[in-house]
Amino acid sequence: MSDHEERLAESLSALMDGESTELETHRILKEVGTESGAKDSVLSKWQRYHMASSVMSGDPVANIDFSAAISAAIDEEETHRINPIQRFAGSAGRFGIAASVAMVAVLGMQQFNTVAPSSSDAVQFAEVAVDAAQQNTGPAIQFPSGFQPNIQARTVSVGGNNRASQQPVMPAIQVRPALNQQYSEQELRAYLNDIMLKHSSHAALNSNQGMLPFARVTKSQEGSSIQDAEGSYTKGAEGSYSNGAEGSRDD
Amino acid sequence: MLVKVLKNIKLAALIAAVFVHGPLFAEPMDSAHDLMARMAKASKELSYKGLFTYEFRGNLTSVKVVHLVRDGQTYERIVHMDGPERELVRRGDDMDCMRASDMLLRGNVLKINDDSYSHLQDFYSFYIRGDARIAGRAVSVVNVIPKDKFRYGYIVAIDKETGLMLQSILINSQGKPMERFQFVDVSIGADVDDVEFTSALFSSEISASDDIDVDQSDCLKANQPVNVSSSQWVPKWLPPGFVLSSYQPVDAEGQESLMYTDGLAVFSVFIDYAEKSRLLPPVDANLGATVAVLTKTSLNNQQYAICVVGEIPRSTASQIANAISPLLASPSP
Repeated sequence: MSDHEERLAESLSALMDGESTELETHRILKEVGTESGAKDSVLSKWQRYHMASSVMSGDPVANIDFSAAISAAIDEEETHRINPIQRFAGSAGRFGIAASVAMVAVLGMQQFNTVAPSSSDAVQFAEVAVDAAQQNTGPAIQFPSGFQPNIQARTVSVGGNNRASQQPVMPAIQVRPALNQQYSEQELRAYLNDIMLKHSSHAALNSNQGMLPFARVTKSQEGSSIQDAEGSYTKGAEGSYSNGAEGSRDD
Repeated sequence: MLVKVLKNIKLAALIAAVFVHGPLFAEPMDSAHDLMARMAKASKELSYKGLFTYEFRGNLTSVKVVHLVRDGQTYERIVHMDGPERELVRRGDDMDCMRASDMLLRGNVLKINDDSYSHLQDFYSFYIRGDARIAGRAVSVVNVIPKDKFRYGYIVAIDKETGLMLQSILINSQGKPMERFQFVDVSIGADVDDVEFTSALFSSEISASDDIDVDQSDCLKANQPVNVSSSQWVPKWLPPGFVLSSYQPVDAEGQESLMYTDGLAVFSVFIDYAEKSRLLPPVDANLGATVAVLTKTSLNNQQYAICVVGEIPRSTASQIANAISPLLASPSP
């Protein structure tokens, strides 16, 4: 992996964790824009990260391309950028762009969670967040001081004047068909749950926390009990657990 | 006359000594290191039961736990109090079994290889933050701050009377909490014998699937490192201070595992060549504070899946996963 790719991968990780800086967000978007769907492109990596996070937290899985939505938001910003006032505002405006990009990412994630009907706890948490966000469909900086919109993106910066992206950005989200898959979601879940249990079992003996690490394992199983996928998933997971346990006991 | 004066001076000195030093003797000040060592000992040797909560990113679960020491063996049971019914039992771990993290937490130095060593104090700073009250008990709160970016920090609350850890918060590099374990109710010592809850630990009625295996092959004997001679894999890079704490050779399903600890943080490396694992995509996932990084590699035309799982930063896990390489230097006969 080249230095550049490594740095991109780190930036992408940070973005996924909601910990990226404005600079990192821009770097990723630039890279996504210049690539033409190479096999291990940043775009495909980004999609995989989202899918993996969804699998781990038990949310429904779909391949969504955020870059189109974000690019659309940037196009809106472009018209604003040539505004003479904006030129005067200078760098403050650029921070504003980063802010609205982060906003699209947040809304996109929340949209993602509400598309599929599901009654899992995780989705209920997400729905609460959407309600709060939908009342404020513009960037954070539109609001007079003292009114803070309920947005959980730390990359949103406050400052500058930005009135360009008044319209909601949600319709710009496009859902693309899934990539060619050789594995099933259930298999990925079963594998991740299995190694998670093995890791926790080791951590319980090799940290000072006793049985506490096992609390982490159960959370993943609860989160995974999506109604439409429950039957096949639960069966798969139990199978691999008991196999693993018996295998090591026989040794 | 002179004798009398001397006597008075002696008496005065004695009284002064008692006044000056008395309070210090009455309440000895533990250093943060002593507290950590005490905590490591208490978590193994004490019997306790209670309710604790586990919390991450707005999710909360509550769990009932019992830990009993009988005849030098430990018996543990946890029951999840919400969500699907689920319990786990672990029986018969030797109380005297000292694993790598036990040694490190108690302040020992472990050898990693010929020119590097693991010592908790070289990788974390410890500060006593003050006193607090958790689960109705007086605790000392210790901030554990990592000295590099390869690991997370902790805030731990340690019971003043017994040394048991009653709260543990994992802190990322931005100083934000990632997950929290906290007891809400605990009883420690003699009054633990709750027959109804603990009897299950000694009966054979518990189904096998709830019984967690106890691996004692990783108990350290006379500071000998864990035996990995049968492994074909070696990490070309590891975050400093992490020592191999456990090794599982290839099992029937084609999975081999290497497990590491620096005394506080733990991560596991799984190397898999089973058919079903080979088809898995390279992924990078997280659940609460735990990350899983799955990469693919090939050796002698055989595809392998390498997965690093642990409560460590994502960048550390990626670096480790990319550094796992086949051990070609010493070919097996």
